Amino acid sequence: MEKSATDLLTSPGVSSLFKSLKLKTKQQELLIRVTILFLVYVLAFITRLFSVLRYESMIHEFDPYFNYRVTQFLTEKGFYEFWNWFDSESWYPLGRIIGGTLYPGLMVTAALIYWTIRFLRFSVHIREVCVLTAPFFASNTTLVAYFFGKELWDTGAGLVAAVLIAICPGYISRSVAGSYDNEGVAIFALLLTFYLFVKAVNTGSLAWALASAFGYFYMVSAWGGYVFIINLIPLYVMVLLIVGRYSMRLYVAYNCTYILGMLLAMQIRFVGFQHVQSGEHMAAMGVFFLMQVFYFLDWVKHSLNDPKLFHTFLRITVTCAVGLGAIALGVGTASGYISPWTGRFYSLLDPTYAKDHIPIIASVSEHQPTAWSSFMFDFHILLLLFPAGLYFCFKRLSDATIFIVMYGLTSMYFAGVMVRLILVATPAVCLISAIAVSATIKNLTQLVRAKSKASHSASGKGTTSSKASSKGSLDQSLPFQRNGAIALLLGAFYLLSRYAIHCTWVTSEAYSSPSIVLAARGAHGNRVIFDDYREAYFWLRQNTPPDAKVMSWWDYGYQITAMGNRTVIVDNNTWNNTHIATVGRAMSSYEDEAYEIMRSLDVDYVLVVFGGVTGYSSDDINKFLWMVRIGGGVFPVIKEPDYLVNGEYRVDKGAAPKMLNCLMYKLSYYRFGELTTEYGKPPGYDRARGVEIGNKDIKLEYLEEAFTTSNWIVRIYKVKPPNNRW
Amino acid sequence: MPPKSEAHAASTTTTGATQFDPSSDSIDPIFHILRVLPFSFLRPPRLRLKLPTFTLPSAMTVYSLILLTYFMVVSGIVYDVIVEPPGIGSTQDRLTGAVRPVVFLPGRVNGQYIIEGLSSGFMFVLGGVGIVLLDLALDKNRAKSVKVSYASAGVSFVAISYVMSMLFVRIKIPAYLR
Repeated sequence: MEKSATDLLTSPGVSSLFKSLKLKTKQQELLIRVTILFLVYVLAFITRLFSVLRYESMIHEFDPYFNYRVTQFLTEKGFYEFWNWFDSESWYPLGRIIGGTLYPGLMVTAALIYWTIRFLRFSVHIREVCVLTAPFFASNTTLVAYFFGKELWDTGAGLVAAVLIAICPGYISRSVAGSYDNEGVAIFALLLTFYLFVKAVNTGSLAWALASAFGYFYMVSAWGGYVFIINLIPLYVMVLLIVGRYSMRLYVAYNCTYILGMLLAMQIRFVGFQHVQSGEHMAAMGVFFLMQVFYFLDWVKHSLNDPKLFHTFLRITVTCAVGLGAIALGVGTASGYISPWTGRFYSLLDPTYAKDHIPIIASVSEHQPTAWSSFMFDFHILLLLFPAGLYFCFKRLSDATIFIVMYGLTSMYFAGVMVRLILVATPAVCLISAIAVSATIKNLTQLVRAKSKASHSASGKGTTSSKASSKGSLDQSLPFQRNGAIALLLGAFYLLSRYAIHCTWVTSEAYSSPSIVLAARGAHGNRVIFDDYREAYFWLRQNTPPDAKVMSWWDYGYQITAMGNRTVIVDNNTWNNTHIATVGRAMSSYEDEAYEIMRSLDVDYVLVVFGGVTGYSSDDINKFLWMVRIGGGVFPVIKEPDYLVNGEYRVDKGAAPKMLNCLMYKLSYYRFGELTTEYGKPPGYDRARGVEIGNKDIKLEYLEEAFTTSNWIVRIYKVKPPNNRW
Repeated sequence: MPPKSEAHAASTTTTGATQFDPSSDSIDPIFHILRVLPFSFLRPPRLRLKLPTFTLPSAMTVYSLILLTYFMVVSGIVYDVIVEPPGIGSTQDRLTGAVRPVVFLPGRVNGQYIIEGLSSGFMFVLGGVGIVLLDLALDKNRAKSVKVSYASAGVSFVAISYVMSMLFVRIKIPAYLR
């Protein structure tokens, strides 16, 4: 065998080199594994760089601008200033305690990376570090996925899991370069915590449980989604107890993780004492006490020799424990010490709750329930492999596979409730699909390799009759099976290659847009770039007094503060619903009422986003009904039916009179009636709604136009001071 | 002889006594309280009831339930309940005025009609079941004809499911992979 291989390489020098490098099978396998992991690491990083190559290295979307501003502050002023920061530039006149109302994990991580790189004397700007943090952590997630797959099934499954998660669009959507948001780091922390906990349950070692507690601490510092961990792990422990898999390993792992994790989590000011006070964390505490009861019962059973006596004792103890627990929970909830589930998380259990009671949560587009095509877009082949992977997990039940099944099912349910949570389901789906792929391919390759073994042994030995008959029957079906297995292997590789093509296409087309820079196809197929947002924010930065206050809808607050460097009234944090409702009321009132509200808030400039000239459909007129609903939720004087005609939302001649004269309409369509936007259409044709507007002759009494960007996307108006009394 | 029979009679009477008086053995306080409080003057009727015993279902039963739940979630049932889209859309033919049904909601990625959701979910589950059948076909303890039929069914399920899913996506998003 070796002679033929070396004969292929003609020169004797190379052959002697190869002979010296001759690797044993185990080393060859290790080399292959390390090479694959290295390539997957690089792949996960570079597939997220589409927007950096197409546009430039900038921060995307809305939330990342706040994170970027906070990270800048951290690197400039240091950790103590950051931890005690009170920001008066947002939520005027209330301000915001930033140190106590954010999850610092992402900013501290980026700052640490920045300081490390600076220490090595590379002078890099903090923006580059922020832009590339998410792809870096995505690469690290693939490594964690490999180890997790190895723990669940075997190394083959680990490698497949690493590859699948590297390019899965569900994960890429929130971790692309430029998307400097909590989820980029949080998914890494989530998977790491779960891996360490499963390892602790499998080995029963205190060291792994301690590592899992620290992983949980990192997760709590990074994202509000840590509530998922603190509820999934107790649920998993409950299932293990019900199925009868209680063991000392489980006891050690859960107790250590829960207690230490809880204590560490209380170090984050935003979380505070929620682990003992909030209803969402009570499940973990309940399961903790239940574990102690189990341990106690186990010890009593061990010391007692009489089974009948033990049965009575068991009945008494279980009744008492359940009774005490129920009483404690009841007293805690009734006295108000244990707060009920917050609206954000309650709407996950009861999806219809947000629609009826909390319009702010219902209005965010990411919070809409998921349709099948979103699943398909984000998962492709994995949707077919997921049920198959579940089957393999059920075939070989162990503590680890029970965990991944529970993680997969709960996260898929939540992904069905809210589109944004497809991100949380992605690691579970990738791992379970990897199990399916690995098990199927292993079966098929065993079929392919079985024939050569059987024919060798059959020819080599003089077998007994029974062996000959069994091998003979195998021999009968084999010629069929071997070719079939090869064909199926080729089919499996075809499906996986289609998955890779799909993922790359989706990443390139759908998930790599910066949202702050818009692109469209021009009339001749060339690409047109709309950079209006940054144009407007830069104008604000340079042409308004430094203490000017800008009123806009809350979507744009973070960007205005970060890029325009001006004080805003409301921003994306949405912590004060009444303040947002005040702005909503101002936008939906007639100009004189709105002027009163704006004077009371010291507003100097108003910013609206208008898509009528370019056909941009995420503008303020399309969001207007949410302003009405939120404003009307607090101020009953704003009624939604006033703005609709027969239940329909219109802006043309047949629109409601209140709609045609409200502040938002006037500010969006001021001077628009004179503009011809499309060939063959009358002036004042709104390309985003596809109608000609109803009120073309708009006169503003209390505001004047300050700036309109080149494509009319962002329009800024100055609020006039009150007239001099004569 | 007489002492034996006496001893035998004595032992039967003592066992009879213990049969009618089991409470002296129990240390359960709740049992003693109940014996005194309602049941000293109430007499429980003679029933032939049995407490239902709780046995855990087998792994494959749980798996089939899970498959059903997966089908519902992936068909977008939560979207159907909250947004309440129609079962199937309709469009009016401009020239003839006839109402034609539209199966796939056009224009958006995150929107669906009920029937399109259910059919796509069914395709996904079919693909999963196909792979499961392929694995079952490799089980050595079955008859050869059963193995062959499982294998061919599995391959055809996977192929149909993949082709149909791709077709659905192409209809829904015309710009897919272009």
